Amino acid sequence: MSEFQWILKGRCYKLGHDVWHAGGVVPNWVITGRHFDPKDIIPHLFEETDPGFHTRCKPGDIIVTGKNFGMGPKMNGYIAMQALGLGLVCESMPFLAYRAAIGCGVRVMTDCVNVLDLCETGDELEVNFRDGFFINHTKDFRREYPPVPDALMEIVELGGNAGWLKDWQEKRRAGAV
Amino acid sequence: MGMTAAEKILARTSGKSAVRAGDIVYPKPDFVMIHDGVVRGAKEELDALGIDRVFDPERVLMVTDHDVVYVNDRAAARGAFNREAAKAWGIKHFFDAGRGGHGHIFPTERGWVLPGTLYFDNDRHCTNAGGIGALAIRMGTEINRVLATGTNWTPVPKSVKLTIKGKMQPGVFARDLGFVIGKHLAPDGAFGVDIDYRVLEFAGELDQFSLAARISLCSTPTEMRAIGVFFPPSAEILDYAKQRARRPFTPVYPDADAVYDASVELDVSTLKPQVALPGGPHKAADLASVAGTPVSHTYIGSCGSGMYEDLEIAASILKGKKLAYGVRMIVVPGSEDSTRRMTREGLLDIFHDAGAMVIPAGCGPCASGRTGLIDAGETSISTAVANGTGRFGAKDAQLYLGSPATVAASAVTGRITDPREFLPA
Repeated sequence: MSEFQWILKGRCYKLGHDVWHAGGVVPNWVITGRHFDPKDIIPHLFEETDPGFHTRCKPGDIIVTGKNFGMGPKMNGYIAMQALGLGLVCESMPFLAYRAAIGCGVRVMTDCVNVLDLCETGDELEVNFRDGFFINHTKDFRREYPPVPDALMEIVELGGNAGWLKDWQEKRRAGAV
Repeated sequence: MGMTAAEKILARTSGKSAVRAGDIVYPKPDFVMIHDGVVRGAKEELDALGIDRVFDPERVLMVTDHDVVYVNDRAAARGAFNREAAKAWGIKHFFDAGRGGHGHIFPTERGWVLPGTLYFDNDRHCTNAGGIGALAIRMGTEINRVLATGTNWTPVPKSVKLTIKGKMQPGVFARDLGFVIGKHLAPDGAFGVDIDYRVLEFAGELDQFSLAARISLCSTPTEMRAIGVFFPPSAEILDYAKQRARRPFTPVYPDADAVYDASVELDVSTLKPQVALPGGPHKAADLASVAGTPVSHTYIGSCGSGMYEDLEIAASILKGKKLAYGVRMIVVPGSEDSTRRMTREGLLDIFHDAGAMVIPAGCGPCASGRTGLIDAGETSISTAVANGTGRFGAKDAQLYLGSPATVAASAVTGRITDPREFLPA
């Protein structure tokens, strides 16, 4: 687990405030159709707001959002973000959206005050989710924000709730828990 | 520095002398509840990992409330799967279709949910536990981790204190107040608070609220994203709990110097009957502003109005009357015990004589259009917890919410009607 990449370096994709999970992150039919396989979801990530997003993003890229990101406690979009190796930095998220993102193993920092003012789409960013650093290399500055809490790092490192349970079961079989 | 009620409950169950809002804890709940709609997902995910048992089969309640009367093949298959899952897991407290009723109602009536209890649930309306002075926390799909390990990560929530001032007038009910509280809790509402993942802790003149009223008041804050609602239990409610308790319990009260995220007040003495306009339970409006609107679909039940007292209020209006021409009414008791009591006390006859349909205990139409659907262009008034687009099926139907009294009065006249027209002055 020590090799887990807590520092992501990549391109900024900037979104606004009040992005709903249904429609804003993935089309509603992805949610109602109960699609949970990343390969089914990835082509539709941000499809309604940024068509072709999945063809342009690269592992390490950072989605930066305003307040209330991911309204509606759904997990489909986070499954795709985790599989694509994307990071997520938000001014705020409803708690259940945050819980869903952590549960899917997304590297996510929330309560990042005014972060929208600090970057534009296309900026080169470096975000340390373990220690809470946000660096904009294009604009040449650095901010500190609340990192992933210590208590949740293991879940993220293991790829989310399913990965954590898999690890727990393996330890249980080995008599370690 | 003192603790809120939620902090005290989470401290006890986490084995700590004190916790603070923001701490992440791993509480050991008194029990865990899983509802019929998510059993298959949890079982298949755990099976895939080779996890073939739950942490404690004695402490898991598996309830059947979202799909009680199977109306399609999928529901029947789900029921069959759930029965096998209960058997495989050795669930002792499995409430199959027709046994128990609504998971957010009957466990309180049967002494599972007691003052000071903590339980985890997959469904967010477990907040009803706050009516009796307990705390229940929604785990969503992560209920699988709770089933396997007995716990899960839980941030201790902040609490918002709401002090009730004054007494409500006759003919005004808890749901009326709930819609107004929802309106004030909305992002641009008068309270000016953030209720996301907060516990709404009631204080003030609470003796006017029965257990059923308190449970009703848990409904709308939940729709506004509260993770919990809490009422300090009165002597009357402690007596109720003692009469049916399945285990010893210790009631919890907030400390006088507890720290709240915000404190707000609400004077209820001038409140009039309300409706929630189509679109959300927080869209409270004076009933008078929409009085006379024709309705054809009416429904009484749900987490918000599923206690026996709710049925009694509706029956008191319907007694000796008929539903208006072209109006149908679906009545869904919160528990099978309530259905039996309705038989004993004559309520069943009152509803049937009026022309209403009483269906088995559970969620009824509130479970997103599984039973009692509405057609395009129709207008409904009901006691559902929510009235977003498509809640009862057709997307262009108009869905109003009201108290059980308002729904009953409206069903009799065929138009949205102030229940005080039917109640003794």
